Amino acid sequence: MSEPISGELPTDRAASAFPTGQLLSKYGLLGFLVVNALVVSVLSPAFLKPENIANVLTQAAPLGIVVLGQTFVLLVGGVDLSVASVMATSAVIATGFAATDNRMVPVIFAAAIGLGLVVGLVNGFLVAKRNVSPFLATLATTVVLQGLRFLYTQGSTGSTLPSAFALMGAGRFLGVPVNLIALVVLAAIFGFVLLVSKHGRKIYLVGNNARGAILVGLPTDRIIIGCYALCSVIAAIAGLFLVGYVGQVDQWTGKGYELDSIVAAVMGGVAITGGRGNVFGALLGVVVLVVMFNAVILLGLPVQVQLILKGVIVIAASAFYLSGSWERI
Amino acid sequence: MSAVTSDPPRTAARQAIRQMPVSLLVVLGLIVLLLAIGVIASPRFASLNNFRNIFQQSAALGFVSLGQTIVVLTGGIDLSVGAMISLTSNFTSGWIDGDPNMVIPVVVGVIALGAAIGCVNGALSHYLRVHPLIVTLGMSAILQGCTLLYSLAPVGKVTDDFEAFAYGRIFGLSYGGLAMLALFALVGVFLHRTRTGNAIYVVGGDARGARLLGISVARTMMLAYAMSGTCAALTGVYLVSRMGSGDPWRGDGFDLASITPVVVGGTALSGGRGGPLGTLLGVYLISLLNNILNFMDVSTFYQWIVQGFIIITAVAIHVEKGRRA
Repeated sequence: MSEPISGELPTDRAASAFPTGQLLSKYGLLGFLVVNALVVSVLSPAFLKPENIANVLTQAAPLGIVVLGQTFVLLVGGVDLSVASVMATSAVIATGFAATDNRMVPVIFAAAIGLGLVVGLVNGFLVAKRNVSPFLATLATTVVLQGLRFLYTQGSTGSTLPSAFALMGAGRFLGVPVNLIALVVLAAIFGFVLLVSKHGRKIYLVGNNARGAILVGLPTDRIIIGCYALCSVIAAIAGLFLVGYVGQVDQWTGKGYELDSIVAAVMGGVAITGGRGNVFGALLGVVVLVVMFNAVILLGLPVQVQLILKGVIVIAASAFYLSGSWERI
Repeated sequence: MSAVTSDPPRTAARQAIRQMPVSLLVVLGLIVLLLAIGVIASPRFASLNNFRNIFQQSAALGFVSLGQTIVVLTGGIDLSVGAMISLTSNFTSGWIDGDPNMVIPVVVGVIALGAAIGCVNGALSHYLRVHPLIVTLGMSAILQGCTLLYSLAPVGKVTDDFEAFAYGRIFGLSYGGLAMLALFALVGVFLHRTRTGNAIYVVGGDARGARLLGISVARTMMLAYAMSGTCAALTGVYLVSRMGSGDPWRGDGFDLASITPVVVGGTALSGGRGGPLGTLLGVYLISLLNNILNFMDVSTFYQWIVQGFIIITAVAIHVEKGRRA
């Protein structure tokens, strides 16, 4: 326990010399993924078959979409536990119209996005204006949404969906999963917003140094609320893609995605304390996660091992990135 | 004319009330309000038997929330309690499996396991400097995985004697409820009257300052999470006694449920402020509320909505308090 009390980050020290630490934290996960994929493909030749890869990516795409939004919230130092509940509720909305006509698809999308917007604004308002801990605010909206959803459906399941949903969720375009194309498009848009546009810089500033952001005159509250709104809207869209893949709604569509999205983002180098990481790192985290899940299945291990792996990975990855500049004591 | 000379006991009581944090008074007020609502809502509500039932039903939530309180006081959070309950309830009934000779060794072993896993949570969070949210989330996945590896369905059974923990009564009060009260008192004394207990508050208030005072932050953190693990394991054991067998998903939902009484009772998520008394009131508030909603035949769906609003309201009160200070 003879460590200095001053909170100097390791990367500061490495800046002048050869940036081993930086390189590791930047490309470590990619290396890990490559090694992982190599080992799995040696042990199970089925892994590298195009069909398997396409399946894995189809399953990964909805999670990837959610992670895009979760990243924005994590970047401003928050966390959104309500994404799974938003996904399930948007899935319920999708079947709620009992529509089989594809012309209803835009209506369903509009309704789901409206829902996401409301939930995100409430989350953001509680966090930014009322100073509620993000954890509790989003937990509360999770439970409220859950109640509303069950009140509406009375617990019954639904599966009436326009045929376009099946295409969205599980279809292929020139052999490429449609939902993967959607993910790539969304990732490109949000990656641009985050890394190139002025808005992105503001988000990083708010996450890194909230006081500084206020001092330079940024509307900090509005930026935070915007990130929560964005996250919930994206989660609502992801819910639509997921229900398209699953084909029916059981009230819990997307269960576990709140944790998986945090795990993937943290693994991809997004700091839970805010201000560090980006959507592409987070998406790499998604790929690593699903590859490991796939490996468990291909190697014939019990499915439960996936859970254990997930737990070990998230702790190890956090320790690796020293997200724990959290409180350097 | 001052009250000091006229009636010392009453003055003492007034002083105690004046020194109570606002949040506790609010919770007490809410409990009174709920009692009034309950009496209006159902003639069967205000019976001794019903209050005994509430007393019994609050035990599980009480055990697990007590542990959560200690961790929250250090500025952390324990999201692995739900999986811990599933794990311990499964192991308890699976290993006892109807054999009276196994009861004591298994219960002791399972509770020790809870303490050990909690200790690992604290150590990982401190030494790897990973946020407790992530550590306990990861631990939760690991524990749930292990539980499901052990069995995918409810397993084993317990002896009749063992069920006395949940159903046995003395003066009409259930053993479980009494044990919970005793544990709250014990932890309350520990937190307020011992050096180690005080250290938990100091670490939660200002970890850096705690180190300068010569408090071992590592030891304090490990102790706090070990206590939370112990409480969760105890909850698992209690639930086996109440349900008659373990279930690999028994603890589902307890992560979040255990945090509600803590924040309702005025313990700050940022650490260092609050305590078990508030949590105890929070536990009774929630149990009372659920009881009344059941009497009113309100569906679980509304109960969820109410729970969400309670969390928001509680936190709003707490925020106001923080601003005044």
